[in-house]
Amino acid sequence: MTLAHKTPQVTLEPAFTPEGGKLLPQPLRHLRDIRSKALTEMVLPNRRTENWKYSSKYLKLDESLAPLTQGSGMAVGRAVEGAYRVVIRNGVVDRESSVLPDQKGVEIQRFTDLDEVTAQSVARKLDTVIDNSTTQIAALNTARIEDGLLIRVAPDTSVDHPIYVQCVTDAQQSGSNYPRVLVEAGNGSKMTLVEEYLCEGDEPVLVDAVTEMTLDSNANVTYIRLCMEPDNVRHVGATGVRMADGANLDSHAIGFGGDLRRHDLQVRLEGENGFARLNGIALTQNRQHFDNHTAIEHVVPHCDSEETYRCLAGDKSHAVFNGRIHIHKDAQQSHADMNNKNLLLSTNAEIDTKPELEIYADDVTCTHGATVGQLDETALFYLMARGVDRQTAASMLSMAFVHELVGQVPLEDVREVVDVRLNQFIEASFKETNA
Amino acid sequence: MAESNKPEDFVRHEYEAGFVTDIEADTFEPGLDESVIRRLSAIKGEPEWMVEWRLEAYRKFQEMTEPNWQKVSFDPIDLHSISYYSAPKKDTDKPQSLDEVDPELLRTYEKLGIPLHEQKALAGVAGAGTPAEAEAGSGGGGAYSNVAVDAVFDSVSVVTTFKEKLAEAGVIFCSISEALQEHPELVKKYLGTVVPRGDNYFASLNSAVFSDGSFVYVPKGVKCPMELSTYFRINAENTGQFERTLIIADEGASVSYLEGCTAPQRDENQLHAAVVELIALDDAEIKYSTVQNWYPGDENGKGGIYNFVTKRGMAQGKNSKISWTQVETGSAVTWKYPSCVLKGDNSVGEFYSVALTNNYQQADTGTKMIHIGKNTRSTIIAKGISAGKSDQSYRGLVKFQPTAKGARNFTQCDSLLIGDKCGAHTFPYIESKNQNATVEHEATTSKVSDEQMMFCRQRGIDPEQAVSMIVNGFCKEVFKELPMEFAVEAGKLLEVSLEGSVG
Repeated sequence: MTLAHKTPQVTLEPAFTPEGGKLLPQPLRHLRDIRSKALTEMVLPNRRTENWKYSSKYLKLDESLAPLTQGSGMAVGRAVEGAYRVVIRNGVVDRESSVLPDQKGVEIQRFTDLDEVTAQSVARKLDTVIDNSTTQIAALNTARIEDGLLIRVAPDTSVDHPIYVQCVTDAQQSGSNYPRVLVEAGNGSKMTLVEEYLCEGDEPVLVDAVTEMTLDSNANVTYIRLCMEPDNVRHVGATGVRMADGANLDSHAIGFGGDLRRHDLQVRLEGENGFARLNGIALTQNRQHFDNHTAIEHVVPHCDSEETYRCLAGDKSHAVFNGRIHIHKDAQQSHADMNNKNLLLSTNAEIDTKPELEIYADDVTCTHGATVGQLDETALFYLMARGVDRQTAASMLSMAFVHELVGQVPLEDVREVVDVRLNQFIEASFKETNA
Repeated sequence: MAESNKPEDFVRHEYEAGFVTDIEADTFEPGLDESVIRRLSAIKGEPEWMVEWRLEAYRKFQEMTEPNWQKVSFDPIDLHSISYYSAPKKDTDKPQSLDEVDPELLRTYEKLGIPLHEQKALAGVAGAGTPAEAEAGSGGGGAYSNVAVDAVFDSVSVVTTFKEKLAEAGVIFCSISEALQEHPELVKKYLGTVVPRGDNYFASLNSAVFSDGSFVYVPKGVKCPMELSTYFRINAENTGQFERTLIIADEGASVSYLEGCTAPQRDENQLHAAVVELIALDDAEIKYSTVQNWYPGDENGKGGIYNFVTKRGMAQGKNSKISWTQVETGSAVTWKYPSCVLKGDNSVGEFYSVALTNNYQQADTGTKMIHIGKNTRSTIIAKGISAGKSDQSYRGLVKFQPTAKGARNFTQCDSLLIGDKCGAHTFPYIESKNQNATVEHEATTSKVSDEQMMFCRQRGIDPEQAVSMIVNGFCKEVFKELPMEFAVEAGKLLEVSLEGSVG
């Protein structure tokens, strides 16, 4: 039954397509214009849009979320010792607050500073790594960029410290901003990129963040994405990765819920012997929402992927996971594992999960597993029999459930930051459910 | 070595039920509008409320558009080029006994291995096999020896066997047209309660134009003394088969029901859009088994049946149980999700499925388990085998409502790929709104490995037999759920379907 032709199609508010991007070099401005024109007809995802089946109800893009044009003078997040840092405020790179590397072969530039030639090549690359048709809202980003960050690592260069990109949103007034990052990792290069999303102020804001990465032969990238914004932020993010032969991706996406949280992670294994590990944690409580959509494309033979996502949902919150593994025709000898475990901490919470496999080659091994449930009574009993009260036992077990993945994050600093938030989350969850 | 030993080379097969019966038939002109529905209803002598019921469904249907979310592609269906009624011509009204049934029809069913002669079956002769059955070979000879059969030929039910014996036990087993005459109150009470008229495009179409089907009512506390079965046969050209099955198991009753189907080999595609509704009241149990062997089209993907079916069971009462078992080897395109709505506390839903696609067949099949009652349990075991250039998807939904305290689901869907031109896909939706519910989902995809093949061949088993053994092993969990005679047939069918596909 299709009701689509009956319900009027909701398009994007006209307020979302004003002029802008004046500071961008010509080729990028041109790309932005093309995308802007396409936007006027953009139909917002609704309940019947498969990709947004469970989350479209949280997508409320009204006039008040029109792009923020002013800069922001607010304080920035913490600096990490022994790490490089780039601050993006309201979608614009803030050079003064940034600590940039002075290492040969490592190039970090803002889009607005790019020379004509580089801008040309960047413009050609943008939107080719990510599949906009499946992320929908991420398409808005290119049409609205004011600035962006280009990170280039030359062949055989190992970036000596992790690069922290802190995207800060100033929510003193409502509006939206569009951080954009493009990473080009050369042959045999190595780097760690941490993206941290933060916000100050409590007006409703929309953050539409897109990161695209290309990994050349044998490049090795560790990608950590921390979604730490408060409830008032509607966050729609997408990360696209294209991997050449022998490339290695280690991704850790950790996020806390809010009014709307969405992250699309798309990985394309385009060269043989590539390996991708995708870890993810989503935590929601109160009336929060979090939606993780991942897609792993095995385009060529002999690639491996491993995916582990966990969700904890408490109170009246709603967590969604959609994982897709696509083994293309002739991508023989592919090995793909997907695992999604979910814990419901309250009777009013909801978890929806859909681990998909799409397979067109016969000599492959693919498995997926998904569970949704509650804490194991036997484990609780075991702890309680040893004098631990029920509440503490439950919080210990919940903590352990996600901590397995936190422990795999290779940066101690990140683990600490996450642990602090995690403790607050667990504490709040168990205080409220048992009150 | 001249002989090939790739598994895919052993999956070619001939469709054995592809013959056409030359029989005189009354057939409507192709086309669909309200007058066709009125005429259909009038021919069947249906009560006035039924005409209205159909027309209401047709009105709903007209507001709908054909769904396109399923992962199959096929040429659009022109619903106006289909004839909505085709029945074998009869001299008098209705045959009162088997002797009055057109001998041509009886031969058709015998050829398919479905004996419609009660005496033989009772005397145990059927087990030995009539000459016709022996000819039919793997068509299921002797499979129905102690089973009451309702035979549906194109749009009408031609004969129902063992009616008297069943009546002794109080079981009503007849065609739905007959039920509308004899037991209108039961039909009116339950028809459309599980699959409403506006449920989906093909179900609405079915509600408007269904021509026949089976009706089963098992009264309180009765265990149905024999297996019930319906055998569907599409024969006429340019017709669609729209049958409707309604099975009700009253408190404490239990019934096992089998369904089989075949169609002649033709170059055009034919539409089969059925609706099956099951209702299980307190402590009742319904077991529904299907061996679907519609004509799958030739090896170039030409012809074959479009099998778009809505099957749903309502486990309405406490401790009720609904179990679906299906073996799907036929049809050009299959689109079917036998589902269970687990409404009663402690009710149980089961889904066991083997789907095999070869050549250009496409199947998008799976199940839905909607947990509403407390401590409801469901099990899903789905085995998919793709060979040739076929495409197959498992699509399932497991949903826990906030009321489904203590509910559990276990799902396992495994795919086996034979050859590198086919596809196997899995789309499981899991929605949980209950903290105290547990769902586990597992899926694997693999191929018939070289090691397995070598192991068998070393022991002198030829490749074809080896693949068949491995595939049978793969499907064992499902086959063991089938009634015994059916399991034998299913195994054989799989073997035939796999002929020429090994590697």
